[in-house]
Parts: sequence; structure tokens; C-alpha cells
Amino acid sequence: MSLSLKMKMKMKMSTGMQKWLVLFRKEWLEIVRSYRILWLPIAFAVLGASQPITSFFMPDILASAGNLPEGTVISIPAPTPPEALAGALSQFGAIGLLLVALSSMGAVSGERTSGTSAMILVKPVPFASFITAKWAALVLLASLSLAAGYGAAWYYTETLFGSVSWRDALPAVLLFALWMSFVGTLTLLFSALLRSAAAAAAAALATAAALSLSASSLPFEQSWNPGRLSALAAGRLVASAASPAGGQTAGDVWLTVAVTAIAMLAALFASARAVRRRPADA
Amino acid sequence: MALLTVDRLTKRFEGALAVDEVGFSVGEGRCAALLGPNGAGKTTTIRMLTGLLAPTAGTIALEGMKPGQDRREWIGYLPQHPAFYGWMSGHEFLVCAARLCGLSKKEAAERSGELLERVGLGAAGKRRIAGYSGGMKQRLGLAQALIHRPKLLILDEPVSALDPIGRREVMTLLGELKSETTVLFSTHVLPDAEELCDDILVMAAGRLAAGGSLAGIRERNRQPVLSLETEGDARSRAWLAAWLKRLPDGFETASATSTGARLVVRDLEAARRTVLRELADENVRVTKLEVGYTTLEDLFLKAVGSA
Repeated sequence: MSLSLKMKMKMKMSTGMQKWLVLFRKEWLEIVRSYRILWLPIAFAVLGASQPITSFFMPDILASAGNLPEGTVISIPAPTPPEALAGALSQFGAIGLLLVALSSMGAVSGERTSGTSAMILVKPVPFASFITAKWAALVLLASLSLAAGYGAAWYYTETLFGSVSWRDALPAVLLFALWMSFVGTLTLLFSALLRSAAAAAAAALATAAALSLSASSLPFEQSWNPGRLSALAAGRLVASAASPAGGQTAGDVWLTVAVTAIAMLAALFASARAVRRRPADA
Repeated sequence: MALLTVDRLTKRFEGALAVDEVGFSVGEGRCAALLGPNGAGKTTTIRMLTGLLAPTAGTIALEGMKPGQDRREWIGYLPQHPAFYGWMSGHEFLVCAARLCGLSKKEAAERSGELLERVGLGAAGKRRIAGYSGGMKQRLGLAQALIHRPKLLILDEPVSALDPIGRREVMTLLGELKSETTVLFSTHVLPDAEELCDDILVMAAGRLAAGGSLAGIRERNRQPVLSLETEGDARSRAWLAAWLKRLPDGFETASATSTGARLVVRDLEAARRTVLRELADENVRVTKLEVGYTTLEDLFLKAVGSA
């Protein structure tokens, strides 16, 4: 009796897993067939490569601009290799986040408007699976893009300025990937809550900007603030780029990471709830 | 035995009552039509049945369902305007739908191929849905609704968006399906309902105006009808308009135009004598005088009109 119950439980688990995988494959297929799998990593790679290249050629660019008075001595200190890499991260923090938000802003609201969410959600599919499959595809795509961009930035930094230790570079990009996933999760949440895709992207970016600003400008300690992540990432590379509060202990970083992870879980939970309440537009 | 039982189902949208305490049941193996004019609340009712819309109040029960079991496992649903991922092929979509219903990979592929053939999309299955016509999408929608052999098939206006040929094809398909499973479909086209259904449910302004088996409803509402048509000359028109205003006892207007009228009468013999005498006295240019019984359309107009 208990054995058959166990079997049943196992079967239930495996069909649940099967459904999740089918949903995830569907999301990924869309990313591939809409060529997002190409243009997002390419855009990140261009962003990442352009940062070290422009800082390397900046003195030449200024010199050839020709509108400086005769005899001007141009002296721009060449960035150190970690600084060049941190510069690329700051590019990803602005344009990169915008691209991530734009590429996923219609994730739920678009399906509701077109009516496809109704076709999927009348099937016996858990609402949480619908959301988490979208989330996993989104995070995977964003991570691949970031890897492409960071790889390009790292390659040109090595070539033009010198080497950066992977001990600094790897934790930095991991922290930044978490921040980007957090912004992607926010976009998903707002696309489940709001009807307009553009409003979802705007709301997610505004929230991210507000968190980031408050982390860098408010005078008190904010170890809980996910907005600190991009500064923490840069701080791994360049000590002075860390938040004005100064020296962080490892404990602080883990607290930020933990809070971000919990916030993402909560956002996923809220998104699933929003989809359960309104699976489709009338 | 009733498969589906709906009790006092209510939906309120921002103050407006879209569905008002609707209750009905659909027997296992029956085919029921949800009839009603546009805006009567048919689609809202159906969306609540499928779980796409949370009811404000009321219950929906499927007989034989274990407690805590997902209602969606037993329901196949074709929305009024089925939407698909244009970047998928018809076959891919069906396999995806089948797997989401818990079918194994092998079963899903077999069943998808079988259903594509059945709805006449065998050759188009490998093409992207973006290139499908409206009729093809409707048929693919029917296939995805059937993919997990649902106990209850719910179709929202399955033929109203189709051209006459597509309509005929889908009607034939539905005729076959109703022997395999329980079907509930909404329509505003009466002949469609009469052709397919065992039961009808007439909705008007959010309420259930009439309901029951088609034969029973016909029997219960069978009333003699006198149908009168004139040439439409000025004199006949004037007489008709005046006469309809002073109809004798036992007559009731079912519908009227400027040249003719359908009248529900209590006593056919007396009515026939009265009308013939009236027509002769007034020298009305009659083209047609027919005696028959009320149709479903008369009942529909009456039920909808009085609501």
C-alpha cells in the first residue's frame, strides 16, 4: 500500500518535472526562433569589447579631434586592467540592463494579450511552473549574454592593458550576474502585474535605479540592499569603486546576496499568484 | 448522471453583473448548447468553467473528481479565438499541449499525428502556425482541445468565425465527437444548436432564461402558430398595423414585420375562423396563411426578449 503510494508520489513528481521541462523547452525554443539567442549576446559582446577599446584609444581620439588649442598636453592616465574591466561592467549596468528588460518585458503580458497564455493555462499546468520556466529561460539567456560580453571585455583588456586575475574577475561577474537576474526577475514580475509591456520594463528599471541610487547616495549602511550588487561587483575589481561606506566584510556581501535571492523568490511567488488570479485577458 | 453541475455561478465585473446566479447541469455523454445573443454572458460562463476566470460566487463541480484534483485535467477547451505561437509548427504545438497534459513522449507524438489527420491538417502539421488560415487555426484548436481525451469538451463559438465550408467541416467533426465525449458549446446560431444538441441552455442578460432537453423544450413550448403574409400594399399594411393593436383574446404576436406577422394562438380552430373572417371582411390581399407550431427560434426570441 505504502509502496504504491510512494510510486504514485514519484509519478506525480516526474510528471510535474516533465511539464516544467516542456514549458522551459517552449520558452527556450521561442528565444532561439526569435533570434534573441543571437542578438542579445552579440549586443553584450559589442558593449563589452567597446569599453576597453575606447579607453585604450581615447588619447588618440582626443588628439585627432583637432579642436584643442596648439600645445595642449593631453594626459589621461591609462586605466589599470581591473579598471578597464570594471568600466565594462558599468556599461552592462546601464545599457545591458535596458536590453535585458526590453527582451523580457512582454513575457507574461504579451501572452495574455495574444491569448496564448489561455491556451497553455487551461491545461493542467501549475501556475508556478509557467512562471519559473519563463524565469529560468530569461536568466539563462541573460547569463549567456553577460558571459559573452564579459568574455569580450576580458579578452580586449588582456590584449590592450594587461592581465586581470580570475580571482578578482570571476566573483565580480558572478555578483553582477545576480544583479542582472534580479532586474530580469523584476521585469517578469511587472509583466505579470501590469497590462503594458513598456510599463513593465520602465517599472523594473526604475525600481533597479532607485535601489542602486539609494545604495550609493544614502549615508547609512544598507547591507540588505540588492542595489549594492553592481557596486560590490566593481569593488571586487577596483577597491575604490566600492560603496562609499568603505571596506566591506565578507559577511556583508553574503547578506546582500541572501536578501537578493529571497527577494527574487518572493517576486516569483507574487508573479505566479498574479498569473493564477488572471491567467488571461478577457 | 450529471457530469458537470454548476450552482449559482456569479461573476461581477466592476459593478456590472455579467453572470447572475446561473445554475445548470450537463449529463454524461450529452451534448449541450449554450445559446444566447451577444453579451448574454456565455463566454464569461465558459471562462469560469475552464478556470480562466475566478467566479465571484457559486460552485462548479465535475462528478467523479477526487478532492483536490485539478478540474483542468478533465476539460478540453477551444476558445472563441484560439491563439498559438506562430513560431511553432502545428505538430509541435500539439505535442507540447499533450506533454503538458501528462502524456509520454511517444503517446504525445502518436496522438498529435492522429489528431492532425483527423482535423484535416495532416499535410500542414510541419508548417509554422504563423502561415495558417483562420479555419486551419480553428481546426488546430479543436485538435489541441481533444489531445488528452477530455471527459468534457468545452467549445466557445466553434463555428461562428468560419466560412460556410469550414463551418460544415467543423460541424461534421462535432457530430462525430459528441458520441465520444460530453460536449458543451456556445453559439448564437440556432440551427447549429438544433443540429447537434441533446440539451439547450438559453442565456440572456447574464441569467439562464430557459434550459432542458431539446425535445422536452420543444414539447413544452409547442404552441400553435398562425403565420400571415400580405402583398404589402398600403391598404393591407394599414389593416395589419391596426389589427395587431386590437388583437382578439387568445392571440399573441411572436414576431411581426410591416407586411406580415407570426401569431401564437391558444385555440387553433377559433383563431383560424377569426382570421379568415377578418381577412374576407377587410378585403386584405393575403399571399400566405400558414398554420404550424412554434419553432426553437420563437422560444429563443421569447426567452431572450422577456429577460
